[in-house]
Amino acid sequence: MLPPRSRFWERRRKLIIGVFLIGVLAIVCFGGFWPLLLRVSVPSYYLDAIIYASLFGLMAIGLTLTYLTTKVPNFAYGSFVTIGIYTSFTLFKLDQLNPYVSTLIAFLFGAASSVGMYLGILRVLARRGSSLIALMIATLAIDIAFVGVFGIFSDYLTSHFGILDSKKFFRLRADFSLFGTPGVLYVAPISLALITATLYLFLNKTRFGIALRASVENPSLARVLGIDVERAYVFAWFLAGGLAATAGSYSTLWLAGGTTSGSNLIVEIFASSVLGGLASIYGAAVGGLIIGATEILLTQAGINLIGSWVSIYQKGVPLAIMVITLLLFPQGLVSIKWKVGLRRLKRPVQGLLYQIRRVCKESWVE
Amino acid sequence: MDVPTLFLFGIDIIRFSIDLATAYGLYLIVSLTLNLEAGFTGIPNFGKVLFVAAGAATVGFVSGRLAALALGVNTFGNYNGNIQVIIPPLDKLLAINPVLSLEILFAGFAIAAIIGAVLGLLTSYPAIRLREDYLGMLLLAAAQLFQIFLGGYEPLIGGSIGISVPDFFGWAGNGIELRDVVVLGFVAVFAAAVYIYVERVARSPLGRTLRAVRDNEVASRALGKRDAIMRRNVIMVASAISAMAGALLAFYVGSVTPETWTRITWTFWIWVMLIVGGAGNNAGVALGAFAFTFLFKVTDQIKFSFQGYIPFDVNWLEYLMFAALLILIIAYRPGGILPEKSSATLPWKTLSEIIQSKPKRSTAVLGPRFASESEKVDETGSDG
Repeated sequence: MLPPRSRFWERRRKLIIGVFLIGVLAIVCFGGFWPLLLRVSVPSYYLDAIIYASLFGLMAIGLTLTYLTTKVPNFAYGSFVTIGIYTSFTLFKLDQLNPYVSTLIAFLFGAASSVGMYLGILRVLARRGSSLIALMIATLAIDIAFVGVFGIFSDYLTSHFGILDSKKFFRLRADFSLFGTPGVLYVAPISLALITATLYLFLNKTRFGIALRASVENPSLARVLGIDVERAYVFAWFLAGGLAATAGSYSTLWLAGGTTSGSNLIVEIFASSVLGGLASIYGAAVGGLIIGATEILLTQAGINLIGSWVSIYQKGVPLAIMVITLLLFPQGLVSIKWKVGLRRLKRPVQGLLYQIRRVCKESWVE
Repeated sequence: MDVPTLFLFGIDIIRFSIDLATAYGLYLIVSLTLNLEAGFTGIPNFGKVLFVAAGAATVGFVSGRLAALALGVNTFGNYNGNIQVIIPPLDKLLAINPVLSLEILFAGFAIAAIIGAVLGLLTSYPAIRLREDYLGMLLLAAAQLFQIFLGGYEPLIGGSIGISVPDFFGWAGNGIELRDVVVLGFVAVFAAAVYIYVERVARSPLGRTLRAVRDNEVASRALGKRDAIMRRNVIMVASAISAMAGALLAFYVGSVTPETWTRITWTFWIWVMLIVGGAGNNAGVALGAFAFTFLFKVTDQIKFSFQGYIPFDVNWLEYLMFAALLILIIAYRPGGILPEKSSATLPWKTLSEIIQSKPKRSTAVLGPRFASESEKVDETGSDG
């Protein structure tokens, strides 16, 4: 069932999308690029934009996986990111382990807690027939419980190991540098691309992947065909928690962290997933890229053009995109018929090319 | 004048009861409005903190300026910047001027209610068009944004450090205890009024319509109920009342700090009260709010005695405790302690008496075509 759309939005949808896209592009071009033209070196917010975009892509894929399987928006998803952040932080502080190495451990921790949450709480509640609102508030409760656990853990780190900045810490100085830029700039986007490609291959070429897709799209039919739907769901949650923790682990190399830093990202993660349509993991990856890049670039453009106070509204960008998405195309980017739009564009473009060719020919003849 | 003290188990019982009752009253108001939204109408408001914080921020911004304007205290053109200089003379002047204090107090409530209603209208625009899960996400995100805005936008309430509110209860006496009793009186009257209002709404035809919208949107729409407008009105009313509760809290505490308005304190705790007590039942919500506030305040009192034995802050255990409580309630008692009862209608005897007393009128209203079969048979019989 789709949320009902008013006729106002229905009629002006294309116009609004067009104006919005052109506006964003114009602001980013005028506000964002002029420092690039003046300076030779790349300003740091471009790195920010690339890293944010890749991390949100990873997180949005995971959130979409959990939404696809249980149909409940998972408010505790941000805490899986914090698990990754704290795993990397602790291992770096105690054993000087590089976050690139501890990513694997973080993946396992995040995946384990995600599976635990699904099997231990959400599935139990769903089988007892809880309503959607009850399940949503249960995920919120789990998020709060996670915040409590992180608080206890960071207090323990302080009291037992004397790590004073365990509540709020700056980026870890463990990253390598390549061509004068930090390594996470390459690792995060490449990871996102690799993970998306692997997921594509997995979901389309392997038996288990196809079974997973079937169990998401039509659980009862999949069960009739002998697919173990539950196992597929558990795997989806395993992957979701792992991806979130991976993103959290990478983020320690570039961003500051703390006990609630993952929970505070929930706005962007939801916005990315909604933009992608909440039903498509490729859409989610693209949504994450768009949200991460627009958030940073648009805010920076605003700072360049208007003033530094614009930075307060940074989180407003993903929220605004989410509202616009929900009002204009609630099924996300995936639902827009790009091919139809391109086909409609084809004729005027061809006409233009024909005219140009004709003019050229005439001038040649003369 | 001071309130007498009475110590029990090392706790000042009277002091503790006043604190408990004030906190309970404020939580009760907000949880009742959430009951109106989530319990009766089915709007999953995961952004409750937005509206409460909006009320408090309104008071932080407006009340001191109003008082300075009315009493002629010089703000040097920058109220937020000179707040340390402005507040002490304001407090002194307000203490000897109870009528003006009360006027500004009620003006603050009114402005907070208007701001709350406007914010409710704004958030309801996308909200009423969306399904439950999208709506929950959107409200949560909006509340998060509002919190960042409060912490970042300095002209409003001084950014992350917050702002002081002059003491509008100063006329109640110099001792802090008597002032607290007066505040408690305000809170009690307000909470009672909100309880009666929500209970009356729940028992009225409007309340039954709201439940119909919640339980079956399509059926209620088919019966001519405009569900989108119902939801919008409910969000607006509930937000206005929540904002007033936030305003009252700001007046009582005497300061507004953005840090205290988080997803945990004024969204999650309120939901715990609602779910534990019983969504859709006002008495249940009142009970849930009391159970929560009591547990919360008692832990507050006794947690210092644990502090030496546990290597971490006891506050974190509260998070775990209430999260576990909530999940257990959802799993084993989904209706809460006092589950929702079916809506009260007249007893069948009274109904049949009413029907029998006016048989002709009911036929006239329904028209001859809808007259029952027996009456038709009678008519034909008389003709023949």
